[in-house]
Amino acid sequence: MNWLKVMTLTTAMTVTSAMAEVAVIVHPSNAATVDQAEITRLFTGRGTTFSSGSKATPLNLAESAAARGEFDSKVLSKSSSQMKAYWSKLVFTGKGTPPKELTSDADMKAAVAADATAIGYIDAAAVDGTVKVLAKF
Amino acid sequence: MKKVLLVTAIAALCSHSVQAEVNISGFASVMGGKLTSGTGVPEFGLGPTFLANYPTVGVYEDEWTFKPDSKFGLQMTADLTEGLTATVQLVGRGADDFEAGFEWAYVSYELNEHWTIQAGKKRLPLYYYSDFFDVSYAYLWVRPAADNYTWQIFNYTGVNAQFNYQLGDWAMSGNIYTGREDDGENKLLSEFFGSQPVREIWKDIIGGVLSFNRDWLDLRFTYMTYQNERYSAGVPVLWNGKNTRRGNFAGFSANVDYNNWLLLSEVNRLTLDGGDFDTYLISAGYRIEQWTPYISYADFDSEGEVHSTASLGVRWDFHSSAAFKFQFDDVTDDGYDGLQVAGDSRAITLGIDLVF
Repeated sequence: MNWLKVMTLTTAMTVTSAMAEVAVIVHPSNAATVDQAEITRLFTGRGTTFSSGSKATPLNLAESAAARGEFDSKVLSKSSSQMKAYWSKLVFTGKGTPPKELTSDADMKAAVAADATAIGYIDAAAVDGTVKVLAKF
Repeated sequence: MKKVLLVTAIAALCSHSVQAEVNISGFASVMGGKLTSGTGVPEFGLGPTFLANYPTVGVYEDEWTFKPDSKFGLQMTADLTEGLTATVQLVGRGADDFEAGFEWAYVSYELNEHWTIQAGKKRLPLYYYSDFFDVSYAYLWVRPAADNYTWQIFNYTGVNAQFNYQLGDWAMSGNIYTGREDDGENKLLSEFFGSQPVREIWKDIIGGVLSFNRDWLDLRFTYMTYQNERYSAGVPVLWNGKNTRRGNFAGFSANVDYNNWLLLSEVNRLTLDGGDFDTYLISAGYRIEQWTPYISYADFDSEGEVHSTASLGVRWDFHSSAAFKFQFDDVTDDGYDGLQVAGDSRAITLGIDLVF
């Protein structure tokens, strides 16, 4: 069973080593406020509007981006595999479509800055004036 | 999970071409297994058998086999914009020698943020796992327990309306559907439970599903009613002198995912011609990083047909799109009056589920 211990240990180390802060961002003109429950709703396909009633378009980072894992675990309280299993169920039963994915913080910023309905997230260190920060986790 | 391709689709009704975004996604399972022991049913001349999948007749025997639980699926969704999409899903199962067929084919129209209408061929959403039974990556075990998922019909062609509402902290979703299924030569009834070609018809299907989700809790209610008609070697089967009988199905499921603990359960009853067919499933798992060991117990009970499966296994999410699973199943067949299914059996299964 030693290999099992090594496996678990490695995993534990990978999880704790990345501790960057994640900033949830929207278009600068977006006046909405969101809490964690509402972000979760939007990113799990259970809601499609901001509290103001206006349309919300969630945008995800690809799994290769560091902030993706942080967002999944800190905000959605799930691992990326759990989210993948969750979306598999919805996609293959015609009940939902996962958010579009962008490959990097820079792409995410550009997409959010260009779309008044967008809500996304990036590494907090990458935030600049082109987007508005709604929350940090 | 998906590859986005830009293709030019020629709209059948328009003479000009439109650009449709087509999403391609898929799933696959490669599972192998064998019996470790089994009694079979000597009075039917059936050797040791673990019936892992009733509707597709997926059976494990003494030799290693990869057929019963291995499958692949390919889904294509064309986004025709303004809320209209067309989806097809091709599924090939080892139990059918990987002959792929269109398992799903439907058009979907989003009426508003709450309601979507779908028409075409879909899977019947009877039990909790019925409509994503083939997408094994999406659930914990190698397969949802065979004792619950025994019904010979699993698709229907018809209309489905699904909805999504937020009620305070609860997300409420569900669907209402109607349709029929006419299975020319039903595999379970023709090959496993009989030797004659059986045509199985479920018609006047009307059903609904209502789900409530909140944080770590998931509750689901399901109901369906239908008329059953059956032809054995072309001759109508009569029940109490009539060639149709009504079935009413009702079920409840409660699932908890809290602090790495998973508790999964469902209980269902089908009343068919006055007889009750009762099933339940209970399972628990505990997530330790990528490892989730689990146990489960499932039971089927009707007059004469009585069987259960106790299972023990582990899921290992070793890759972001793939999981390795190992499972041991112990089936007890307490059927009597000639209603045994496949006798007692013990079997191991292992392999990989993935999505893309």
